[in-house]
Amino acid sequence: MPTVEIDPDELRRLTGHDEKDDAALREDLFGLGLEFEGETDDGEFELEFAPDRLDRLSVEGVARSLRYQYGDDRGVYVPSTNDAEWTIRVADVPEDRPYVTGAIVRGLDMDDAALESLIQVQEKLHATMGRQRAKGAIGVHDLTMLKGETLKEDDDSAKSVTYTGVDADEETMVPLEGDQELTLREVLDVHHIGQEYADLVADYESMPAIYDEIGLFSFPPVVNGRRTEVSADSRDLFIEMTGTDQWTVDKMLNIVCYALDARGGRVEEVNVEYTDDAPVTPEAGSELLRPDLVTKTKTVVHGDIETMLGVDLDERDVVDLIERAGMDAEPTETDDGAAAYRIEVPPYRVDVLHPVDLIDDVGRAYGFNELEPRYPDVSTVGGRHERSRLEDAVRDRLVGQGFEDLLNFHLIDEEQNYERLNAQQGSDVVGGGEAVTIEQPYSEDFTMVRSWALPSIMMVLENNTHRAYPQDLAEVGFSAHVDERENTNVAERRTVAAALCHAGASYEDAKAALRTLVDGFDEDLETPATEHPTFISGRTASVVIDGEEVGVVGEVHPEVIVEHDVELPVAAFEFDLNALR
Amino acid sequence: MKLPQAQVAVLEAASADEQRTIDRIAEATDLKPETATRAAFELDDAGLLEVTERTTSDVELTEEAERYVEAGLPELRLYEAAVEAGADEEPVGMGQVIGASGLEGDAVDIALSNYARKGYGEIDSGEIAADPEADPDADDEATALDALAEGAGAYARETALEDLDNRGLIEQTETVIRSVTLTDDGVTELMAGIETAETVGQVTSEMLTSGEWAEVEFAEYNVEADAERVVPGRKHALREMAERVTDVLVGMGFQEMQGPHVDADFWINDCLFMPQDHPARNHWDRFALESPEAIDELPEDLVERVESAHREGVGPDGEGYHSPWDLDFAKALALRGHTTSLTARHLSGEAMGDLEPPQRFFSIEKAYRNDTLDATHLLEFFQIEGWVMAEDLSVRDLMGTFTEFYEQFGITDIEFKPHYNPYTEPSFELFGRHPETGEMIEIGNSGLFRPEMLEPLGVDCDVMAWGLALERLFMLATGAEDIRDVHGTLVDLEFLREEEVTY
Repeated sequence: MPTVEIDPDELRRLTGHDEKDDAALREDLFGLGLEFEGETDDGEFELEFAPDRLDRLSVEGVARSLRYQYGDDRGVYVPSTNDAEWTIRVADVPEDRPYVTGAIVRGLDMDDAALESLIQVQEKLHATMGRQRAKGAIGVHDLTMLKGETLKEDDDSAKSVTYTGVDADEETMVPLEGDQELTLREVLDVHHIGQEYADLVADYESMPAIYDEIGLFSFPPVVNGRRTEVSADSRDLFIEMTGTDQWTVDKMLNIVCYALDARGGRVEEVNVEYTDDAPVTPEAGSELLRPDLVTKTKTVVHGDIETMLGVDLDERDVVDLIERAGMDAEPTETDDGAAAYRIEVPPYRVDVLHPVDLIDDVGRAYGFNELEPRYPDVSTVGGRHERSRLEDAVRDRLVGQGFEDLLNFHLIDEEQNYERLNAQQGSDVVGGGEAVTIEQPYSEDFTMVRSWALPSIMMVLENNTHRAYPQDLAEVGFSAHVDERENTNVAERRTVAAALCHAGASYEDAKAALRTLVDGFDEDLETPATEHPTFISGRTASVVIDGEEVGVVGEVHPEVIVEHDVELPVAAFEFDLNALR
Repeated sequence: MKLPQAQVAVLEAASADEQRTIDRIAEATDLKPETATRAAFELDDAGLLEVTERTTSDVELTEEAERYVEAGLPELRLYEAAVEAGADEEPVGMGQVIGASGLEGDAVDIALSNYARKGYGEIDSGEIAADPEADPDADDEATALDALAEGAGAYARETALEDLDNRGLIEQTETVIRSVTLTDDGVTELMAGIETAETVGQVTSEMLTSGEWAEVEFAEYNVEADAERVVPGRKHALREMAERVTDVLVGMGFQEMQGPHVDADFWINDCLFMPQDHPARNHWDRFALESPEAIDELPEDLVERVESAHREGVGPDGEGYHSPWDLDFAKALALRGHTTSLTARHLSGEAMGDLEPPQRFFSIEKAYRNDTLDATHLLEFFQIEGWVMAEDLSVRDLMGTFTEFYEQFGITDIEFKPHYNPYTEPSFELFGRHPETGEMIEIGNSGLFRPEMLEPLGVDCDVMAWGLALERLFMLATGAEDIRDVHGTLVDLEFLREEEVTY
């Protein structure tokens, strides 16, 4: 679960509630679904957040939500914006990253706390909506350091920057935290930030870059240029976002604009101008005014709210709850005459896909824990699956015979599953099935699904040589191997495996246990001699139940026993559970 | 006087002048050692015999100690080398002395740390001084070591043994030896003559069929004596917990589901309205298969409806995700990250045909997480999954169901923390009060399935669901601290044998 760091003093200041002590704040935050995880070294709250309300990734957004919760604010708030002076022109768009958006915020009175919060909201947005910058990446610049190209000869207030695709070896910049002019290729190769994000652009045909009249100042999604670096003294900011989806970068921009608005900044629109020959974008040739701070409206049926919450509400209550959730509601009727609300949703909300999301907001504002639990008056018949009943019956019989029931991992590695048992992958013996393998395992010990259970039992014997004997162990469990006849191309089996390990454990003991088990299910058991590399030749038999070969029984080969550092004989069997059905 | 046969035998084998060990008595009387022990204690109770217990310790040299017996203790070698180099007159460079001593690797540190401790001299600023007064031949530890090597450990000094033990040079094991001597009363009774009582130990088949049992007296046993411990066959402790949960759920009207462990991402994630670029679906968190790679067939209509829900949303006011959706990814195989894939298969009708409300289903089956293994996290764990399908379900029904479920395990005061899941809305993390510690702890995740999940699956009523790891419930209920002791091949058989039964 991601976390966000929030300074409680900042929160008190931004909400205007100096009287709240830390404990009271923590309780209020829990009510928002932000769970207190701990405190950082410098006394900030570390809060766990659910990745739906990304507008709460900053202290400003959390403060806004708290003010709604306290009833200090009601209804939708949309910051007013100034008209655009700046344009982002998109020319020779980098096809792998065709979308861009932007905004200007002026008149900020930043301090270290505000700057820290701005950096955090960028990082958290990158980690969530931005999918580690692949889908959307943010660049924030000091506007005073930009020199726009003049758009019209007679109007020097209209300025532009250009988003374009360039050759990595030809263009140069001085990156953040760097002190020399590097080509973009060098940035990716030698600069520490460049190296970190180099993978993102590794397959790009051309490198995304943003220019003003002086030169390249941003290399999204990798690194900004040093020239336009933001400091606590910056008052006017230029914000650009690039990505693989226009909606995503626009929404990320809205969240940042709301946060800066809460810091007293004045949002100014930016004109995004896609050229006609930008064939990969549906926005080709269009002009967009950003940020797109338009609210959206959804219709929620009154009865649906009552059903989902299980309580009766009157219209006034619902409108009140919606306003306390930071939205506006206007009573209306659906086409078939049902009472409903037209709910206006602010532009920083990225989580509202369906009216149920708004009903959830009503529930949160109402307080879910205020609801009285009731056991649903719905009658159904319970029961276990036949397979699990069978598994259990077999387990009971084995335990009755004195076996200790095991529960092993289904994941194992090739060496344990085959080699240490002398078995070969792809051979026509029990356990020899072709391995179902994991693509990118974390651990070398878990690289495949086990093709039989005996290797797991041998590992348990190996790990318990210091414990008392006899160690008669059994497992009714899962195994799998590749089988192209299946829709998933995997044959999943339930397997019955048992091993007797004590002085004098012999083939006869294993067969006696098997015999007793099979008799209990009134099936015929035959044990014709066979060969299996795990077992001693001449002391190995096929398990044939009702005429079908379903497993193997025998004395485990000393080579296998010694390999597992066990110093007592082991006799074992393993067969397919289905044979007992 | 009359005594049972075993007691008579022990009494006769014992001596008033000499302590005899029980083993010796058992050998002389042909009794099993445990029978002889029992008889001896009974005679002790009767005042005829005295049982004394002695603890002996057996000392064995470790491999390291064996080496020192050959080559000498490292600090002594250092001292000798130091004296050789003239360090008894003025300090000499440490490197020179160490080189001359022939010590290498760990032995150097061992030598240095013991040198000063045992007063062979000072080590200061890289120089070594030797105390001319020190006498390596009188070294207690060396003497004890030699004595032990020659089997004369009994003569070693206690303090020297302690030092050797601290240095890990010896291993001491203790055994209790019981010996008996006749008391004066015992001697008197023996002199007076003791008869073997006509008592019977074992009830035999012959005795029962012949009617002899009516004539005999049964020897009294010491019924409080310790009995031997038996290694039992028993069901795995975690399995017992799973069965307990199953009982509760079946009792609440839930029916059990089953389905594939290896499944297409379509069933694991797409059907659950998880966007394909969701962080949980990236290659690190997914347990993607290398071989085989993809499922052969998916139901085409369903695929279309699911894709459309992802792209466009459902309902007149619905919106989709702004994320890519690719059929190849949907068909890719993985080990299921949650058993909600079974729920998706059941709700769609794929598992057992179309379901009409009301329904309750559950499973307690393995789910897989591509993560690192530690004391509280496994790569594979049992997920308890349950859902209820009915018309017009509310959050209150969800709360009522879960309150009822957790109360069966003594977990009360359930709190519902609003939460976010891609496939449920509203969603709640469940918190409950731990029955022992009283803490509020997270006990599950729940919610009402979203319309974007249910509509494509063809469900037109409500479904509420919840999930919880069985291991978590197990750890809460048993206080087990390392789940690796319980589940998997690192299991400790002793833990399984001794773990309290769950019922």
